[in-house]
Amino acid sequence: MDFPFVKEAISQLFSKPSCAMYPAVESVAAPRYRGRIAFDPTKCINCMMCERVCCGGAITHTVEKTEEGDRITRSFNLGCCTFCAHCMDFCNHGAIELTQDYHMIATKEEDLIVSGTFLKKPPVKKPVPPKAPAAPAAPKETKAEPGASGSDLERQKGEADVKSSPKAETERSAPVLPRDDGKPVQDPAKCIYCTICARKCPAGALTVDRAAKTWALDEDACVACGTCASVCPKKAILM
Amino acid sequence: MFQKLIEESTGKSPWLFHINAGSCNGCDIELVSVLTPRYDAERLGFKLAGSPRHADIVVVTGPITAQSLPRVLRSIEQVPEPRCIVTMGSCPQSGNVFRGSYSICGPLSKYVHVDVDVAGCTPKPEAVIDGLALAARILQEKRRAKK
Repeated sequence: MDFPFVKEAISQLFSKPSCAMYPAVESVAAPRYRGRIAFDPTKCINCMMCERVCCGGAITHTVEKTEEGDRITRSFNLGCCTFCAHCMDFCNHGAIELTQDYHMIATKEEDLIVSGTFLKKPPVKKPVPPKAPAAPAAPKETKAEPGASGSDLERQKGEADVKSSPKAETERSAPVLPRDDGKPVQDPAKCIYCTICARKCPAGALTVDRAAKTWALDEDACVACGTCASVCPKKAILM
Repeated sequence: MFQKLIEESTGKSPWLFHINAGSCNGCDIELVSVLTPRYDAERLGFKLAGSPRHADIVVVTGPITAQSLPRVLRSIEQVPEPRCIVTMGSCPQSGNVFRGSYSICGPLSKYVHVDVDVAGCTPKPEAVIDGLALAARILQEKRRAKK
């Protein structure tokens, strides 16, 4: 009598099971696994790029007007998400990250919503440099008393800017410097007026006319996301 | 005594019935992979049943197309109470990328009470095991409440 499989059968009795012992042994997802979304509201500038590129329509926002500014709540519905990571790729400020966490089990729909709230302050209005001699009378009256000297200084600065800006336009060789507030500035020497920046701008703040060769920025609409600078084929936009 | 034995054994081995309601097949493959030797959900008692009348847990994948809706509801009605309904993937919860289509009747929660949502597109097999374990716990609670 020959039992060829006895040795194998006995060894299998005392060997470890070959399956993944998941609930007992924690399993770690692959390094670049796209799981639960982590949103950092402090980094978000509300450029709306994530909502535009989301194919599942999982990203929504609500705006609550307060005295300090707009209180914006951006929420990601994981029950509607395809985990394509488009929002992460398009976010210029790295506010969205898809983590390795894959435990997304819920008994209620609210459990699958990731959200964050941040405050967006209204853009600070710079004192308008007086152009006509009759105009400066009005802003002087509205200005508060203690800040009068400061605002006067600013106004003088504004006047200096106005004086220097036509110079910069005429002298093409003058270097274009990036602005202090993080908003884009165009280098007319490099710009070919291709209008890509205007088409890619998520806030619709740029107006470029190819025929007239003009480049205009709507400063109130601009959120300083940097999309225009990154898409410019001639690197003509400085941030 | 027999009643207790039945309760113990059924609580520890809930049978699954899988309905594909217009899924892209991604979730179906992941659910099947949970039952293969690699993840081996059968060691935890989960077993795929061929008929809805034998099942305790219903796993629905896909965005509930207009064609599949009456069949899905009919199949779910045939599952004896207490039952537990698990949606797998984003599609049955919201319609995902298919939402707004003329042929999509989802989400499933419009028609029946959904107990567990397993999110992901597709969920990892480990997440499916988590969801099924939660469903089994809910099922046991429902059984006790029924008595």
